[in-house]
Amino acid sequence: MIETQQMISIDAAIDQVWGYVNDIRQWASLVPGCRDCAVINAQDSRWTLKVGVGGLVRTVNVMVHVDAWDAPQQVQFSYRLEGDPVVGSGSYVASRRAAQATDVTLMVRVEGSGPMSPLWEAMSRPLLPQLAKSFIVQLKTEIEKAAHARAAQDGPVTDGRSGLRLLGRRLRELWRTLFGCA
Amino acid sequence: MQMIRNLPAKWDLEANLVSIGSGIGGLAAAIAAHDLGANALVLERCGELGGVTALSLGELWVAGNHHALALGLVDSTDSGFRYLRRLAMNYGEDAATLNNVVHARIALKYFEEKIGLEARVIRHCPDYYYGVTEDAAPEGRLLEVLPFPAGTLGDWQSRTRVSPLVPYGLTHEDMFGRGGVANMRNWDYGLMAERLTTDQRCLGAGLAAYFVKGALDRGIPLHVGTDVQELIGDGARIVGVRAIRDGKELFVKASRGVVLAVSSYERNANYNKTLGQQLDLQSMVFPSIDGANFRLAGPVGARIARVPDITSLGFHVPGEEQASGDPLWRSALQPIGLPHTIVVNRMGKRFGNEAFYRAILYAVDIIDGGTQSHPNFPCWAIFDSQAREKYPFGSVMPGQDLPEGLGVKAATVMELGRKIGVQPQALADTIGAFNGYCQNSEDPEFRRGTHPWSAWMCGDPYQKPHPNFGTLVQPPFYAVELHRLGGSAIPAAGVVSDHHCRAIGWDERPIEGLYVAGNSAARLETGAAMQSGVSNARGMTHGYLAARHAAGHPSDLLRKEIERLGL
Repeated sequence: MIETQQMISIDAAIDQVWGYVNDIRQWASLVPGCRDCAVINAQDSRWTLKVGVGGLVRTVNVMVHVDAWDAPQQVQFSYRLEGDPVVGSGSYVASRRAAQATDVTLMVRVEGSGPMSPLWEAMSRPLLPQLAKSFIVQLKTEIEKAAHARAAQDGPVTDGRSGLRLLGRRLRELWRTLFGCA
Repeated sequence: MQMIRNLPAKWDLEANLVSIGSGIGGLAAAIAAHDLGANALVLERCGELGGVTALSLGELWVAGNHHALALGLVDSTDSGFRYLRRLAMNYGEDAATLNNVVHARIALKYFEEKIGLEARVIRHCPDYYYGVTEDAAPEGRLLEVLPFPAGTLGDWQSRTRVSPLVPYGLTHEDMFGRGGVANMRNWDYGLMAERLTTDQRCLGAGLAAYFVKGALDRGIPLHVGTDVQELIGDGARIVGVRAIRDGKELFVKASRGVVLAVSSYERNANYNKTLGQQLDLQSMVFPSIDGANFRLAGPVGARIARVPDITSLGFHVPGEEQASGDPLWRSALQPIGLPHTIVVNRMGKRFGNEAFYRAILYAVDIIDGGTQSHPNFPCWAIFDSQAREKYPFGSVMPGQDLPEGLGVKAATVMELGRKIGVQPQALADTIGAFNGYCQNSEDPEFRRGTHPWSAWMCGDPYQKPHPNFGTLVQPPFYAVELHRLGGSAIPAAGVVSDHHCRAIGWDERPIEGLYVAGNSAARLETGAAMQSGVSNARGMTHGYLAARHAAGHPSDLLRKEIERLGL
């Protein structure tokens, strides 16, 4: 079994971060090489990835199952490759560091099965940390970009209309905190 | 022939020697020229260095090399010369064969001393024709490199090519010491993971990386993304090139010579058809291998020559691509020689020794003049569940189902025949006959299993009584259609050159200032012969010889050897 853990700090409130990650399609869009994400239901989705390993680019289909959405701190997931004897699991854990700062830890495991499992794991060992690192860095970029855009759109709080916008934003954040979606 | 005169108004870059191409030939030339006092630079069309060398198994065939002699293995360049000359079937030129053989071991030692190339004998790896013809060696002539730490390439690490086709995290010793490809479940994957994680490169990726490092250590400018469009002459000799880089023209002066080392033409369907006489060829190499050697050298009158060649067979595993986005093709060379596996044509007949690619592949494009047809194409690899359970088929691991679109599966041989359009009873009869041959491991039709190299490369050493024999009896049965495949850029045709690797014109005179190396050069050293490791070795040797001549230190060893041997 191969495992990697990547941590990053995002300059956004934990609810804003959750507002982004609570949609599995957003996850898929951040995975390097992901070409398609077909959502089957709230827990299951089928991803089509182009994975590059040493000059070889291979299309693989991955069935992803979310075992638990625990807003806004945690997601547990598992996956299996179609046609290849490879399964895996992982978790997303977020913690509030400050009002506008969230620490995120992503852990991913991959496990081959059958007589050739050592081969799958050998190939995964250098690849998995790169994929996880790329994912989490891109996650930070996207969320901070959205947060900055929102801040710019809302503008400084100087008049009554801005005050209403601020109230609306706070209500939306409260809603996300309570119900896990926007 | 009159030399062209197309000098530019000004030169953008200048060097004594300019290598076009960054495989082993181009890099060897640049490195040797530098060390002989001539400054050099390299122009590479692609974004990555290493060329086709990096895709290969990285073998170097060097007769009489010092590593073999140190192991007490008896060999000589004379023996190596006789071996290649016999196999060339008079399609080559003796002087060219001798020139390559006697200089290969010198070039090897030169680069070991100068760039830190670390090579060793691939133990127990015989010449192709060992056991079949005289002067073939049981081992010692085939060398491989020790793992190369690619982290030392710095910024060039990610821009030095690796292979999507071979497991470059392992050496030959790592693979074949544990039963070869047939027994890949025995390989040390902990070691492979460590090598991949720390980017220690073996095989062709390692070989190419050693030469890239040699160039970097010397400060030789390496210009990637630079596509040479034409050679420039001054009316007397070639003195430079015109290239395109970032959409702009770049004139590069080469005061002592240009080395054409751009491999061959395998990705050019027209050249494959008209020069190689190969139709609908698929390829394992990247798109830039499209005959630039001919397009560049043709306008200055370079002569081309062709030697007898084979058409390889391969398959595409759905979902696999090259980095360029093209489908990735894999050679069938190894899997069709495994036990429980044969190849049949549309008549359901075998047509060659599947375990020795040089034997069966000459038959792929045979034309039946009576019907003006190719009787052996299309063709299929046929195997049973024993093969599927034990062996990989390309990247499809033992025990895995064939991916949809790769092959056909059937409960009986008759059903399999019907599914692929081969006369079922004929297929059953062929399999029945082959199963009979397995009893005594003797193939009276095609002499499968008679080459020790076949057992080493394509066989299962643990299969008893013979590594290349095993019955097809256990359902389900499988068929994979095989497609025509190029020879990994080892071409039938190339530019003719002399013993200093100067390109030769149709007037039989050297084209001054133009050198040719590796697969860009006509294979007159080998004629009809092919031997694994020759292509990388000739690239290295050509680069060395071209640089020596361009730098004003031409080798006179061939003349001495011709005198010694009384040729």
